[in-house]
Amino acid sequence: MSFNLFAAEEQVIEHADRLRERLADVAPECCEDLGALIDAFRRSYRDQRRLVRVSDRLQAQLAAANEELERRRNEAETALVHLREAQDIIVRSERLASLGALVAGVAHEINTPVGIAVSCASHLADATQRLRDTVDRGALGRSDFTRYLATATDTTALILANCERAAALIHSFKQVAVDRASSERRVFKLGPYIREVLLSLQPELRQGNHTVTVDCPPEPELDGFPGAVSQILTNLVLNALQHAYRDGRPGTMTIRVTGDDPVELVFADDGAGIAPDDLPHVFEPFFTTRRGEGGSGLGLHIVHNLVVGPLGGTITAASEPGRGTAFTLRFPARAPMPHEDGAAG
Amino acid sequence: MDALRIDATRRTPLVDFDFPAGVLRLAGESYPDDSASFFGPVLTALREWLAASDVPVRLDVELVYFNSSSAKALMNMFQALETAAAGGRPVRVIWRCDEDDDAMREFAEDFSEDLDHVEFTVAERLDAAGSGRDDAA
Ligand SMILES: Nc1ncnc2c1ncn2[C@@H]1O[C@H](COP(=O)(O)OP(=O)(O)OP(=O)(O)O)[C@@H](O)[C@H]1O
Ligand SMILES: [Mg+2]
Repeated sequence: MSFNLFAAEEQVIEHADRLRERLADVAPECCEDLGALIDAFRRSYRDQRRLVRVSDRLQAQLAAANEELERRRNEAETALVHLREAQDIIVRSERLASLGALVAGVAHEINTPVGIAVSCASHLADATQRLRDTVDRGALGRSDFTRYLATATDTTALILANCERAAALIHSFKQVAVDRASSERRVFKLGPYIREVLLSLQPELRQGNHTVTVDCPPEPELDGFPGAVSQILTNLVLNALQHAYRDGRPGTMTIRVTGDDPVELVFADDGAGIAPDDLPHVFEPFFTTRRGEGGSGLGLHIVHNLVVGPLGGTITAASEPGRGTAFTLRFPARAPMPHEDGAAG
Repeated sequence: MDALRIDATRRTPLVDFDFPAGVLRLAGESYPDDSASFFGPVLTALREWLAASDVPVRLDVELVYFNSSSAKALMNMFQALETAAAGGRPVRVIWRCDEDDDAMREFAEDFSEDLDHVEFTVAERLDAAGSGRDDAA
């Protein structure tokens, strides 16, 4: 027989019933009252049984709900870990992709001076061959020689200038590429560096007939992370090309630097602008208005992290739909040392 | 006696007692901060009306969640109705819950255990929006 939690109450009831039977003979006048009492007790005993069942069931529901909650929390935590891993991968591949774009830019830019140098060199080779033929025939006149000297002077000057230009380009690209791939800290001049970065973006800019004007005093010398600056500017320019000038209209962007410490850098475009509802979210990871068209929504998040982290500064966005967008960066001329303050990292 | 109506809150159910028509309804969630002060006046009104009138009674109970003290208040209400029914008055209680809500169905069984004179039935819930009356049932 199974154990009965209410055995005592049931015994009391049995006992009371027997008592009433015995009382029927000795004190019949009490019988009815006692009967009512017993019924009331019986009812209350059943209420109690019922309430215990009710609260047991509620308790069980609560426990089940808690288990479910715990399970969902674990799921959410796992999902978060996966998301972070995915974000790391995207950030890494974004960096690789921007390096790829840089290499394409390098190839394009260097093509022009190298091409000029090659055609000058071949022109000079032809002229030299002609001169040798004339000499071999013993027919070299003074005017032939003078003409050759003029050609040689012009072409060698052009070859030299274009090779120097190619060398300078390679040097600056190398600098940008190294900076971008590493997080090396060094002292650099902001103005020239901005121009070097823009050079690497020339192919994209030229394609849409866009121009970027740079207004930067020559002085500011920064002690910090040129790679971060390069990545920030590249992201801002590419964003303007992707979002601000979608209608194909050529645009004008400006980069204006004022102040030497803290430095204020404003990047502005005169394109479509950002809707007021979107503006507060543009720095959030995965916020994009181009989902499904290749936008991951990480560009500005990375920009934000670079400004707040390595540069130790702030970034804000302002926009007027139809009139353009401006990003304002403010950061110290000397970037914080790692662990110098909590914001770095 | 006039109708008694208390709008539902997050923790207390809708109480819609149309006394003149004899149609009473409880719906929603019930875990008041103070069950006694919430259900006390409701029980008093019910008992007074049961004593003062003899129109047939129909009570729709459509609770999705209730705590233990609300359960006790319900039992008290059912007890009052059982007494009236034992006196010959037609009383129906319709316990409404989702078909697959096993817990609520078991509660219905428990609660009807002591009702010998009340006609107790279990039915589907009324429209979720909740204020419509199902007079055909
Ligand atoms: N210059 C701009 N003009 C108009 N809208 C912009 C501009 N820059 C950013 N936005 C808006 O901010 C959103 C977020 O930009 P973000 O760079 O973070 O992501 P994305 O460019 O959409 O994707 P991803 O950079 O990962 O390819 C964009 O989707 C766009 O709506
Ligand atoms: Mg972007």
